[in-house]
Amino acid sequence: MIQAHKLSKKFGRHDAVRDLSFAVPEGSAFALIGANGAGKTTTIKILMNILHASGGMAEVLGVDSRRLSPRELAQIGYVSENQDMPPRMRVDEFIAYLRPFYPTWDAALEKTLLRQLRLPPERRIRDLSHGMRMKMALACALPFRPRLLVLDEPFSGLDPLVRDEFMESLLHQAGEMTILISSHELGEIDGVATHLAFLDEGRLLFQESMTDVIARFREVRVTLDREPAVATHAPSDWLQLRTLGNVVSFVDTQFSEAGLGERVKALLPGVRDIDTQPMGLRSIFTALARTARESAV
Amino acid sequence: MVWHIFKKDWKLLWPFFLAVAVVQFIPAAIRVKLGLFGEDPVLGYVLIPATVVAIFGVAFLAAAIVQQDSIPGVRQDWLVRPVRRRDLLLAKLLFILVLVEGTAIAAATLQVLESGFSLHQSLSAAFFQNLFLISAITLPAIALASATKTIVECVIGSIVAYLGGAAILIAFAAARGGDERLEAAGTGSWWIMQSAVLLVILLGTCFVLGTQYLYRRTAVARGSIALSCVLFVAVLEFLPWKPLFAFQQHLSSQPGAAHAMTLSFDAALGKYHQPSGITLSDQELWERLHKPGTPAELFLPLSISGLPDDSILKTDKSEVRLISANGKVAYRGVGEYFEVREEGASNRQSTAYQEFDVPETVYSRLKSQTLRVEIDYSLTLFRLETAFGIPALGGDLRSPRLGWCETQMNESGSAIELRCMQAGKGPTCGTAFLENPSTGMRNPGLSICDPDYAPRFIRSDVDPTSHYGLNLRFRDPSGLTQYPVDGPQLPKSQVVLRLYEPQDHFTRQLTIPAISLPDWESK
Repeated sequence: MIQAHKLSKKFGRHDAVRDLSFAVPEGSAFALIGANGAGKTTTIKILMNILHASGGMAEVLGVDSRRLSPRELAQIGYVSENQDMPPRMRVDEFIAYLRPFYPTWDAALEKTLLRQLRLPPERRIRDLSHGMRMKMALACALPFRPRLLVLDEPFSGLDPLVRDEFMESLLHQAGEMTILISSHELGEIDGVATHLAFLDEGRLLFQESMTDVIARFREVRVTLDREPAVATHAPSDWLQLRTLGNVVSFVDTQFSEAGLGERVKALLPGVRDIDTQPMGLRSIFTALARTARESAV
Repeated sequence: MVWHIFKKDWKLLWPFFLAVAVVQFIPAAIRVKLGLFGEDPVLGYVLIPATVVAIFGVAFLAAAIVQQDSIPGVRQDWLVRPVRRRDLLLAKLLFILVLVEGTAIAAATLQVLESGFSLHQSLSAAFFQNLFLISAITLPAIALASATKTIVECVIGSIVAYLGGAAILIAFAAARGGDERLEAAGTGSWWIMQSAVLLVILLGTCFVLGTQYLYRRTAVARGSIALSCVLFVAVLEFLPWKPLFAFQQHLSSQPGAAHAMTLSFDAALGKYHQPSGITLSDQELWERLHKPGTPAELFLPLSISGLPDDSILKTDKSEVRLISANGKVAYRGVGEYFEVREEGASNRQSTAYQEFDVPETVYSRLKSQTLRVEIDYSLTLFRLETAFGIPALGGDLRSPRLGWCETQMNESGSAIELRCMQAGKGPTCGTAFLENPSTGMRNPGLSICDPDYAPRFIRSDVDPTSHYGLNLRFRDPSGLTQYPVDGPQLPKSQVVLRLYEPQDHFTRQLTIPAISLPDWESK
C-alpha cells in the first residue's frame, strides 16, 4: 500500500527525515511513533505529496507519491491536526462541497458519521472547537470509504470523551482499509495498530508487526544473592540497565523465554530469581526514546 | 468541477464581490455626471480616489479568490482532496475574468452608453480599456496571490516588487547622472514599450500560475516574480529607441508618403528670438537667477520643404550629437519636439527651430570650439483626414469619427471652450480655429497634437472614453491683441476642427558641418 525508499527531507541545514525506508502492508494499521520532532508529520506530508522530498522516493497506492493524481486522492482519507478547512464555510456546506469530488461517496454513511460524531451541520468551521474540527476532518475522510486512511496526530489536544467518540467512529468504519497513523499518544494506538515503525530524529529505528514488538520486549527484574560488582558489559539489546541493591532491572529487546535465563546467568553470577513482565506500547516507546536520547548525549 | 469550485468561491465571496461591483459603478457615474466640461470641482476631486478604489478593489478581490485555495503552505485541506489543479485554476480565472472583470466592463459600458454612444462603441471601448487594466493590475495581482498565503503577504509582496523595481530604475538613472531614460516616454510610440512591458507581465503571470498550479513550487514562482520585475525594468531601461521606431515605421499606414520631405540647416533664418509678450514663468525665472548650472538653450534654424498639402510634421525624437574637431562626440543629448503645420495648399518652404539644451559645464567647455552637429530625426507625417464645423456658441455635434463635441464661452468671456469625448481611443492630432463663414475671417489655429500611434485596441487609461479639447481665444482682456473673429461675430461663427491621422513614420539625418554654439543661443 505504501513503500518508502530512502526518503529524506532537509529544511535548510536541518535533516527532518533521513534515509527512511518502510513498507505499509495492505489492510494493516501502521503506526508511526516517535517523539515530537521525530519526523512523523514530515514523512506523512511527503507521502501525501504536500511536501517534496529532498531525496529518495515513495509509492502510495502503487503510484509515485510525487504524482498522486485526483484518482489516487479519491481513495485516500486524510485527517491531521494541521489541516486548515475553509473557516467561513459551514459544516454541511463543506461536506456538500466535497461530495462530488469522490465517486464513491456514501451519503448514508455521511449521515451516520455526522450523527455519531455529533457535528452541528449549520455551524461555521471557524466556530468549531479543536476537537470538533478533528471530528469534522474524520467525517470528511470516511464517507467515501477510502482504501487508505492517513491520520496525522489525530488525538493531539483531544479530551478523553472526544477521543473515545473519534476512535469509536474510526474503528466502526475501519473495515478493510489500510490505516497509517502517526502519534505519540501510544495508549490510543495500542489497541489499534498492527504494525509499528519507530522514528527518532528523522531516522527509522525499527519497524515490525505489533505482535512481534510485544513479544520481544520484556521488562526483566533479576534478583541476585548479593549486590553485583559492575554491570558495564551488558549486551546491546538490554536497555536501561539499572541496579538497586541486589536487584538488576533492564528492558530486554530480544526476549525469548528459553534463552533469557542462560544469558542472565552468564552475565550476572548468583541469580536467585528472574521475573519478566510484558510491556505496554507506552513503556516500550519510553524505553526506546530514553535510550535514543541518552546515546545521542 | 470548474463550475463546482466557482460556486463555492461565490458562496464565500459574494458580499466582497457585491462591494467591489458597487465600487466599479461609482467612478463611472461620476464621469457621466462630469460630462464634457467637468464643471463640478468636488466631483472632479472625488473621481481620482474613487477610480483608485475601483481598480484596487478588483485587484484585492482577484487575490482573495485565488487565496480561497492558496497554493503555498502545507496545511490547506484542498491539497489532500481529489481536486484537479487545472480545474482549480480555471475556476479562479472564470470568477476573476468573467464575473469580476465582467462587472467592471459592464460599469464602463454603461458609462459610455450614458454619454450617448452606441452599444457597439460602448462595449468595445469598455472591453479594450479593461484589457489594459487586466494586464497591468489584475494579472500581476493573481500571480502574486498564487505565490503568497494571505492578502497581507500579497500586499507586502507587491510593495516590495514596486520598490525593488523603482530602486533599480533610480540606481540606473543615478549611474547616468540623473538622466531619465525611458526612450519612448512622451512619444506616440510609447505604446510599443508599454506593450513590451505588458507582455513581460503576461508571460511572467503565465509562468507563475503554471509553476504554482501544476508543480506547487512557490520558491520558483517567487523567483519568477522577482525576475519579471527585473525584466520589466530592463525593458523600460534598455529597449532602444531606434529599433522601436523602426517597428513603428513598419506599421506606417502609408509608407513613403513623406519621401519628398527634406530638412536642412538654414543659417539665413537667423538667431531665434523669444516672441514679444512671452515671459518666463516664475519657476524658470527663479532657476535662471538662483540655480547654478542652468543649461544653455540653443536653437538651430531649419528649413523644411516637400510637405504635402494639409499636413503636419511632428518630431517623435531628435538625438543630437556635438562633435569636436578631433571627431570625438563632445556631447550627446535629446532635442525638444517641434511641429510644422501646412494648412491648405503647401507651396512654400516651412521653417522651424530645433531647440536643445546643453549643460552649462559642457557649454563652457565647447563654446569657443567649432563643432559639427549631427541630428538623427524620427518624424511622423500626419495628413488631414476630416474637418468639422461646430457653432461657436452652444455647439453640440456627434459623429462616429469625432465622438461628441460641445462648445461654450468661458467664464471670463474671452475664449470659446471646445470639449470633445470619444468612446475608446479618440483622435490624437488636430487643429482648431474660430471662423466666421460669412466673412471668411478666421483666427489663428491651435494644435492639439498629442499623438498616440497605438492600434485602437491598445488603450492605457482608466476611463473608457477619451477627452480632448482646447480654448480658442477671441478677445484679449489687455486689449493688445485684436482677433479677426471677435465677440460680436460669435453667433455667426463656428469652430473648425481638423483631424489628422499619422500616415508615415520616417527618419532623417541632419548634419551641420561647422557651427559655434554662442551663435545659436536664444535671445
